[in-house]
Amino acid sequence: MTDHEHERAIDIITRHGADDIAARDTAWLEAHLAQCAECAEYAALVTSTGQLLRAVAITASPALVATTQARIRERAAQLREHQARVALIAVSFCIGVLSSTISAWLWWRFGGWVAGRLSLPASIVEPGMFVAWLLPAIVIALAMLASSRPVIDRSVTLAMLGEREGDR
Amino acid sequence: MVATAFSSLVPMETEEAQIARGLRRRDPDLLDALIEQYQHRLLRYLLHLTGNRAAAEDLFQETWLRVLEKGHLYDGRNRFVTWLMSIGHNVAIDHLRKRNPSSLDEMKDPEDGAPFEPEASGPSPLDMAVERQQYEMLDAALSRVPPLFREVLVLRFQEQMKLEEIAKLVRIPVATVKTRIYRGVMALRPALKGGAQ
Repeated sequence: MTDHEHERAIDIITRHGADDIAARDTAWLEAHLAQCAECAEYAALVTSTGQLLRAVAITASPALVATTQARIRERAAQLREHQARVALIAVSFCIGVLSSTISAWLWWRFGGWVAGRLSLPASIVEPGMFVAWLLPAIVIALAMLASSRPVIDRSVTLAMLGEREGDR
Repeated sequence: MVATAFSSLVPMETEEAQIARGLRRRDPDLLDALIEQYQHRLLRYLLHLTGNRAAAEDLFQETWLRVLEKGHLYDGRNRFVTWLMSIGHNVAIDHLRKRNPSSLDEMKDPEDGAPFEPEASGPSPLDMAVERQQYEMLDAALSRVPPLFREVLVLRFQEQMKLEEIAKLVRIPVATVKTRIYRGVMALRPALKGGAQ
């Protein structure tokens, strides 16, 4: 008996029960097992392993299932909310970019018109108008950066926490 | 159950395609039905992988949360159970790496590893005692099997998965699956011959 035959037998035994085995292979295996004690023992062990593993009923408790379902619903709601927020931010961003582009172009043109009316060099007035258009955003950004005051006053937070602990 | 619930919507669609569509929508009703349908199989798999009921229950919840979050990645071409188990496999591996990167077996905590604890609701104390006794016998037998082999034995003989499905799930070649099953069965031989003592 060759190694190839043993390998084929082990392969069929291992697949038996889960995979579709051709009738020809099953017949060959039966003939092989009748002659090969080693493979016959393996086949018996595989059967016993299956019986052992399937004999034990491991079940999830209803409490576990209910808790999981509740957590899933809660998380699904959170994800939906997050998705809606992301979509809103994306739309706002697109509108912002579009309106900025249009208004920047209009300010540039206005600068050119002012330069023409006042006979000033356009190379100075146009960028000047553009900077003037950007100025409010730059000032606000600088003010936010320079501000040392936190968004949420820590003393207020601590006072609230103290109040809660006092309530207990 | 899931097939019945959704078959009225698109009669020609396969169950897997319906599940994939529902997961993309993050449909909570579909997820409830899937949890009901696959609760025992998933918990059984995780319990055999970790050897610890409490850890398996945590991973059970974590697996379903990941199914919700990564549901859009399921394309419906493979069986849902294979995809679910592969999520469970990844969650368990992450957990085991965090807890103890050196060995899966060392994860077993003799104190809190008691497989079944009585709970306020669920099976009766007698059922629990029988389950516990049966599980202890199985656990004693499986403790002889290295975790890598134990996992494929559970998938093959308890979940009755095809070798190709196991290979996809564990991300190993089919030949390695066969080798692991063979070695796992051989490692179980003393327990099988001696009545799992």
